[in-house]
Amino acid sequence: MKKIILSTLFLLFGFSTGFTQSFKTETGKATFYSKVPLHSFEGVSETLVGLIDLDKGTVDFYIDLETLDTGNGKRDKDMKLTLETEKYPFAEFFGKLVSDFNAESNDVQGVKVKGTFKIHGEEQEIEVDGTLQMTDEGLHVTAGWILNLLDYKIKPPKVLFIKVDENQEIKIDALLKPIEG
Amino acid sequence: MKKTVSTLLIMFLTISISEAQMERKRANPDGPVDEIFLTKNIAGLGTVQLLGKGDLNSMIQHNFGDVRGGIDTFFGVDEGANVRIAFAYGLTDDINIGIGRTSREDNIDFGIDYRLLHQTKSDKIPVSVVLKGNFGIRTQKEAFPLTFQERLNYLGSLMIGRKFNDSFSFQISPMISHFNTVVQTDPNEELYNTVYGLGFAGRFKINARKSISFEYLPVIGKRISDTKNHAAIVYELETGGHVFQMFFMSGRWFTEQHLLTRTETNFFEPNFRFGFNVNRVFGLL
Repeated sequence: MKKIILSTLFLLFGFSTGFTQSFKTETGKATFYSKVPLHSFEGVSETLVGLIDLDKGTVDFYIDLETLDTGNGKRDKDMKLTLETEKYPFAEFFGKLVSDFNAESNDVQGVKVKGTFKIHGEEQEIEVDGTLQMTDEGLHVTAGWILNLLDYKIKPPKVLFIKVDENQEIKIDALLKPIEG
Repeated sequence: MKKTVSTLLIMFLTISISEAQMERKRANPDGPVDEIFLTKNIAGLGTVQLLGKGDLNSMIQHNFGDVRGGIDTFFGVDEGANVRIAFAYGLTDDINIGIGRTSREDNIDFGIDYRLLHQTKSDKIPVSVVLKGNFGIRTQKEAFPLTFQERLNYLGSLMIGRKFNDSFSFQISPMISHFNTVVQTDPNEELYNTVYGLGFAGRFKINARKSISFEYLPVIGKRISDTKNHAAIVYELETGGHVFQMFFMSGRWFTEQHLLTRTETNFFEPNFRFGFNVNRVFGLL
């Protein structure tokens, strides 16, 4: 029995110290681009939280939607109402790297992740193309995809009676620092 | 021993689950509380709700004669409207300026709101406090000559508001009004240039788009003869682009200095008038 306990402890120990390939940020940048005929605007948050574990191949990102700033108080208020941020405060993605990434190289490498994106209380399986680059400061991530508001039961808001395009371009850009094991 | 093993296994599983996905934490749990009231005004009373930087609010305020005229005056509508057209602009998130014109006495008013405190979600700051100043100029032609100085009226108000929960907000606003000139029409009339008041306002939110609000403005201390305390009950509708406010109010005016000193109908008698405000916010930045 002692052996079992020892092996469990070993497993536990091994598990908790196996984190040298993990990278994290709390200051990533997430931007969405909205289009209305003859007019477009963007919303930016610089508090994107991300965790990438290269050992397990997991990718975990979320933002607090109330930190999105469109540069206009009225628009921010409308956006929060549309996204129902009091009820659903986060937009989040959790998934896995499904393409190879060479952590030894410093080149920008195209990668693909697959996972669940959740916003407005609705979940969708998505596939996102992005880039990863191992730098001296950490792991640099960029990614972009098109989010269809109707897929997440978000009613496109109106700007001066004209509906905002239901397809919103999302971009993220973050430098994740290594987590000490 | 079995227990120890199971505990260790549970620990192990818990750890692997918690490592799988980060705990979601709010970015700014101590941030400012949003939407204490729907707009800068209820019916006539100002609120601690300010416009964001770069927002322009255009507002049209109407009310009619009192409902006691009955069907003969179509419950006051035939008696003509008092209309105030106003614009307010957010210079910063904490400083708003505004200008308005009221059809009665052709009163043109200029206003400023300055937020001293903003209620926070953590309750570290439990209330929002806004200092409001307004001064008006009665520009209508009078039968008697008035100098520019004699045409001026002023308001100073300290608005203290709190959102108690998602459904209920409340505000008190001690205020002082001053008129450089008061006109005596009856020799027995008691008149005061300076009148004090204590405004009460509340909002019950029905859902994200609708609420019921009220305002009550009793005079504190000496009051001008035959005036009554102003009160209003308001149904508010946010349509996305506009905020409509439909109400019954006793006062005839939309500027607090006039509501304190010119209200002659008693809401609780009951006697009041129908009115509505239309607000539209434009983001200029």
